[in-house]
Amino acid sequence: MNTAQNTPKSAKARCSVESEAARGDVVLDVRRVSLTLGAKRVLDHVCFRLVDRVREDAVTGQIACVLGPSGAGKTRLLRILAGLDAPDSGEVLGPGGKPVLERKVGMVFQDYPLLRHRTVKENLTLAGRIAGLDARARNERADELLAMVRLESKADRYPAQLSGGERQRVAIAQQVVAPRRLLLLDEPFSGLDPAALVDVRELVTRVAHQHQLNTVVIVTHDVRAAVAISDTILLLGKGPNGARVVDTYDLVDMGIAWKGGEGRACEALARVLERRFRDVS
Amino acid sequence: MSLVRPFRARGSLRGAAVLGAGWLAAALAAWALSPFRSLPTLGEIASAFGRLWSEGGLGAELFTTTRLIAVSLALTVGISLALAYASVVPALRPLAHGVAKLRFLGLTGLVFPFTLATGGGFRLKVALLTFGMTTFLVTAVARIVDEVPRAEIDQMRVLGASDARVAWEVIVRGTLDRTLDAVRQNLAMGWSMITMVEGISRSDGGIGALILNQNKHFHLAEVYAVLGAVLVVGLLLDHAMGVVTLVLCPHTRAAMDDADATPEIDSGRAEAESVVDAPESAS
Ligand SMILES: Nc1ncnc2c1ncn2[C@@H]1O[C@H](COP(=O)(O)OP(=O)(O)OP(=O)(O)O)[C@@H](O)[C@H]1O
Ligand SMILES: [Mg+2]
Repeated sequence: MNTAQNTPKSAKARCSVESEAARGDVVLDVRRVSLTLGAKRVLDHVCFRLVDRVREDAVTGQIACVLGPSGAGKTRLLRILAGLDAPDSGEVLGPGGKPVLERKVGMVFQDYPLLRHRTVKENLTLAGRIAGLDARARNERADELLAMVRLESKADRYPAQLSGGERQRVAIAQQVVAPRRLLLLDEPFSGLDPAALVDVRELVTRVAHQHQLNTVVIVTHDVRAAVAISDTILLLGKGPNGARVVDTYDLVDMGIAWKGGEGRACEALARVLERRFRDVS
Repeated sequence: MSLVRPFRARGSLRGAAVLGAGWLAAALAAWALSPFRSLPTLGEIASAFGRLWSEGGLGAELFTTTRLIAVSLALTVGISLALAYASVVPALRPLAHGVAKLRFLGLTGLVFPFTLATGGGFRLKVALLTFGMTTFLVTAVARIVDEVPRAEIDQMRVLGASDARVAWEVIVRGTLDRTLDAVRQNLAMGWSMITMVEGISRSDGGIGALILNQNKHFHLAEVYAVLGAVLVVGLLLDHAMGVVTLVLCPHTRAAMDDADATPEIDSGRAEAESVVDAPESAS
C-alpha cells in the first residue's frame, strides 16, 4: 500500500499505540474486529479508538467519519458497532471499557427505512414513546425535529409520499428523538440538495455536541463534509483479506477540527483524502 | 391518454366505471343473443328471483349462509394469525408451516371424521370451512411474515424497541394491509366453498341447500337466480373487506394516490400527455 508523505501512522502502529488513551477517556474502542460472510472475509482486524474531545469553551462531543470505497465493509462495520451483528472475533467497547449495549445505539441505515403505516410525525413520536417520553414531550420533540429538518409541512404524510431526501431526513430525525450516546449514520449526506445537506450537517453536529460523551460515527463518501464536521477521519481500505483501517486522521492534532471546513489546511486535507481514497479503492 | 396502448394511462375512477359498465352490457347482450338453448332468458331469471325472494325464503337462506361464513371466517382469522405471527419464534415456526401443508388434504375425505367429531349440523360446516380456509390463510400470512424486510426490524431495534413492540409494529401493524388482503382472498375462497359445504347437510338450509333442491327439480332459471344472488353477496362481502382495509390502513390509500400522481413508466411522455389532459392543480 502506498504510504504517501501526508499519511499518518499505519494501521498496525495505530492499533498498538496507547498514548492516544492518555489524552482523553476512550469513548469507543473497536478492537481487532473481523467478519466473514460466507466465504468472503469482509473485515480484517479493524481497530480504532475514539477519545473524549475536550474544549474549554464548549461542550464537545465526538464526530468520526469513516471513508472507504464501495463494498469495503463500512455498513457491516456500523452494524457491528450497533450490536445488530456479532463479529467473528474482536470486540467493541464503549466508555469505561464496557461493552456497547444493543438498543442503546442509534443507527440511520443507508436505505432510510421508516414504518410505512405511520405518518412522518407518528414515526417520530413512536421513537419518543419507545424512549419513554410522555405524550406532550414526544409531541414537542417531534415538532422541533421536523422544523429542524424543514419538514413541518410533511408531518401528516406517509413515507411512501416522500422523496428520497425527505425520507432520509425523517429517518435521521427519528434516531435522534431520544438522546443517544452513540449514533451511527450510514451515508447521511448522499442524495441531498445543498440546502438539505446544510440542514442535516447542522442537525448531526448539534446532536453530537449536546453532550460531552455523545459520539457520532458517520460513513460518508463526501470528503468535504467529513473535513468540515469531524474531529477524526478513518479511512477503511480494501485489503486482500478484507478491509482494515489504513489511515487515521486526528483533526484536533492538525488544528483543523471544529472549523467548519474553512481555511487552507482543510482544503489541503481534503485533497490528501481524495488522493488516498483513490489509492485504496 | 390512450385506452388501447398498455402502460400509458392510469385511468380515473369514473373512466373505469364507464369501461366496466360497457363490458357488463356487452356480456348481458351476449347472454340475451346466445344461441344456447339451455340458458334461461334474463326475464325468466328475474321472475325466478322474484319468486324465490317472496316465497322461497331466499333472503333467509342468504342470511344463514352469510352467518356461516362470518363465524368460520372469524375463527379462521383468529387461528391463522395466531399461528402465523407465532412463527417468528423459531420453536413455534414448524407449527404454522405444518398447518399450511395440510391444505393438500382437501375437504372431501374430512367430512366423515369431522362429522363424528362435531356431531354434524352447523358445527360440522363451520369446522370444515374453518379448516379449509385456515390452511390457506396460514400459508399466506406466514409468508407475509417471512418476507418482512430485515431492515424494518433492525430499524425498530436501534430505536430501542422491545421484541414485543417490534413484533407489534413491524409484524402485526406493518403487514396489516397485506394480511387483510390475504383475508379478503380467503373470504372469496371460503365463499366459493360454501355452497359445496352446505350441500353436505341440507336440513340446515342455506344457499347451497337451496341450489341443490332447485337442481333436483331442474329449475334452471331458479339456479341461475340463486347463483346471481351468491355472486352479488360475495362481491358485497369482498367490497366490505376492501373498505375495512382502507379504514385500518390509510397509508394504502396514500400510496394509491401517489401511484396515480406519479406516472412510473415512460414518465416523460406520460407527463407531457397528462399536462394536456389534466388541470395543473396537483403538485
Ligand atoms: N450477506 C452477505 N453475504 C456475503 N457477502 C456480503 C453480504 N453482505 C455484504 N457482503 C459483502 O460484504 C462487503 C461489505 O459490504 P458493505 O455493505 O459493508 O459495503 P459498504 O462499504 O457499506 O459499501 P457501500 O459504500 O457501497 O455501501 C461487500 O463486498 C459485500 O459484497
Ligand atoms: Mg454501505
